[in-house]
Amino acid sequence: MPKSFDATNPPFDRLETQEIEALRDTLDVAYFPPGEVVIAQEAAAEHLFVIIKGTVEERDGDELVALLGPKDSFDSRALVHGRSGHAFVTREETLVYLVPRDAVLRLIQTNPRFASFFYLEISRKLDALAHDEDEQRVGSLMRARVSDVRLQPASFIDAADTIETAGHRMREIGSNALLVRNGERTGIITGMNLSKAVVLRRLPLETPVGELAHYDVVTLAPDDFVFSALLLMTRHSKRRIVVRDGDAYVGILEDIDLLGFIGGSTQLVAGRIDRAQTQQDLADAAGDIEGQVRLLRRQGAKIEALCELVSDLNRRLLERLHGMVCPPALRDHACLIVMGSEGRGEQTLRTDQDNGLILDGPVDPTALDAYRRDFNGALERFGFPPCPGGVMVSNPLWSKPLDDYLADFRRWIALPDETAHMNVAIFYDAVAVAGDPALLERAKASLIELVRGERAYLAHFAKAIDAFAPPIGLFNNLITSEGKGDALDLKKGGIFPILHGVRALALEKGFLETGTAERLQRLAEERVLKPDFAREVTQAFRFLSGLRLDAQLAESGGRSGSLVRPATLSSMERDLLRDAFLIAKQFRDIVRRHFNLAMF
Amino acid sequence: MWRAVKRLFHQASIGDQSYRFLFKPGPDDEVVVLDTETTGLDVKTDDIITIAAIKIRGDRILTSERFEAVARPDARMSAEAIKVHRLRHADVEGGELIFRILPDFLRFVGGRPLVGYYIDFDVAMLDKYIVQLIGIELPNRLIEVSALYHERKYGDAPPGTQIDLRFAAIMDDLGLPRLEEHDAFNDALMTGMMYLALRDLKRRNVRISRQRQAPVIDALGA
Repeated sequence: MPKSFDATNPPFDRLETQEIEALRDTLDVAYFPPGEVVIAQEAAAEHLFVIIKGTVEERDGDELVALLGPKDSFDSRALVHGRSGHAFVTREETLVYLVPRDAVLRLIQTNPRFASFFYLEISRKLDALAHDEDEQRVGSLMRARVSDVRLQPASFIDAADTIETAGHRMREIGSNALLVRNGERTGIITGMNLSKAVVLRRLPLETPVGELAHYDVVTLAPDDFVFSALLLMTRHSKRRIVVRDGDAYVGILEDIDLLGFIGGSTQLVAGRIDRAQTQQDLADAAGDIEGQVRLLRRQGAKIEALCELVSDLNRRLLERLHGMVCPPALRDHACLIVMGSEGRGEQTLRTDQDNGLILDGPVDPTALDAYRRDFNGALERFGFPPCPGGVMVSNPLWSKPLDDYLADFRRWIALPDETAHMNVAIFYDAVAVAGDPALLERAKASLIELVRGERAYLAHFAKAIDAFAPPIGLFNNLITSEGKGDALDLKKGGIFPILHGVRALALEKGFLETGTAERLQRLAEERVLKPDFAREVTQAFRFLSGLRLDAQLAESGGRSGSLVRPATLSSMERDLLRDAFLIAKQFRDIVRRHFNLAMF
Repeated sequence: MWRAVKRLFHQASIGDQSYRFLFKPGPDDEVVVLDTETTGLDVKTDDIITIAAIKIRGDRILTSERFEAVARPDARMSAEAIKVHRLRHADVEGGELIFRILPDFLRFVGGRPLVGYYIDFDVAMLDKYIVQLIGIELPNRLIEVSALYHERKYGDAPPGTQIDLRFAAIMDDLGLPRLEEHDAFNDALMTGMMYLALRDLKRRNVRISRQRQAPVIDALGA
């Protein structure tokens, strides 16, 4: 029996040991020369094919839908429903396992988890994966060690030292707790203990800390698990645990740091932004955002939650910065907006700046110049790369009176070119961050009014969904040039066609929502899209965005994080990636038909 | 040629008439790929430990219809051999006597051609017992995969070309997946894959390039 048959691969990973043994017994191996039709379109199949080696093209008529590689299996539809949606043709010499139809059907009947894999529609498959990922991420948290968490310094003070000395020492070392050496005993004293002693018990500042310290100290070693720390804190109602490595005191683990480690501490970052007094304070807070994203993603935060969070933090940051650098002459006459992905609330890590300023009329040019310079200069120092297209406050084209914007809109729509389309697109995504939001509302209302009913213009606008080569083609490229470091561009292949197609449909309807998911929701409500399909598009969009974020985190600091290398994905993820691209493609076809793009 | 003469001779001299089916040609598009693991490499003194045979019908390797057996060898296994096939004395103790295994094996194989890598050795090993059992040696046509490979790769090579016919070299050259080796079943399966790939190359008149770096089956490494 082929012991080599890999049963760790979905859907076979859902089988029990004896089911796998029984299945292995029924397997045959088949060889196909290049160009051979394994399953014809609309044909039934007597086997489930699991690729051992080689590449198989999934085709819809003349069109290549997907490329299947080792460990991929096909085609559940031909097997279960007796009719394959697509044809399967070998691209090169290919070896496959043949799993007999009867054996698969038997397993479908007896093993619900196995069956669900076959019947699951894409969105549910995506959820299954997200769940698996959650488990992995929680798992990694459970394996984290105390030494992975930020510790407060272990600083000693003598029991005879006074409350005053202890207070000063705490401030010096920036910690709220000190260890107290009292003969043989070691205790701990906190800022709260000191305050209570002085304020509530009215003890003099000269009181030795020895009598205030707590000596029922709970200790752990640096290589103990984080979850034991959590358990100990809960059990003993302690907010601090002393970390000891043998006789040496390593540090103090505070609940706040532990919670920060486990749950992220975005509210702390938000608080730092709100309290920032100087641009340096803001720069420090900005630096923390990426760390939070990484942490939360590792702990299984969903991509949509992360996007919301990052957008919120970034907008706070811009608002605060605006407050710092905006000259009084501008203050009541301007609206700071963010556009593009920032406006849609879909940025994850720091993307290029896309910001602008709408003025309610002519302002003092000196004040405006100062603002343009200071605002973008500061953002760049915070690590937000300047926009290559110049969509920034510093560019006079993007910081001017409302009337000038309205003139622009008319020009962009009357004489559309690529730049004009892009400008309309990002402006339609804009949200107000600071200043007078009514200015943006008026601008957007005019923009929507201008395009209302302009079918030809909207079709031109939507046309950009065809700007990039079909994603499936890219995938193809990727598989065939495996090993040459080639990777797949998620943004061009799937994310962009979805978000822009959705944007075009929303603009036509004049929706004011900016997020892609919210716009999809509205499109479903207005019956522009079938609700089921809108849900699948949303899921595919989120899945691709999640992969993109992971890729970005992986090459953190690098500029483009849109690339993903399928070789590094699990075969389940590859499966889903293919499905997501397929949905992106279907969606594109719908948009194309909707705007009658075949005309162009 | 020599085998054809022997075949005629054996057909006349077969001891057990019930094995005459060995001379009837098998189904047209079927062969059997064969591998044995032995106590060592000396046909005279060493014994068979495991036999694995898999039918190939057309382009399919029928792993679901396979013959696998563990024999109890008479000869002690050499330490070297144990290292190769990793079956210890204890593992083969439960095995059947070879003479009880062979009738089933012969019925499984029938008149089909036998495919193998260095098939002469496996057949010589088997013949040692088969002669004792039914009075003749295996009459089946033999197909040597290394010869098929040699023809596809070195058939038109200038004299003095360095020739590499190692099992691993052929697998790599054809881009075939390496299963765990020195397990009779896996070896037979891999040999079957080689056979199908080489037969297809010949059918399509594709030669294996001697400069080639990339394997014939160039695919996503799994």
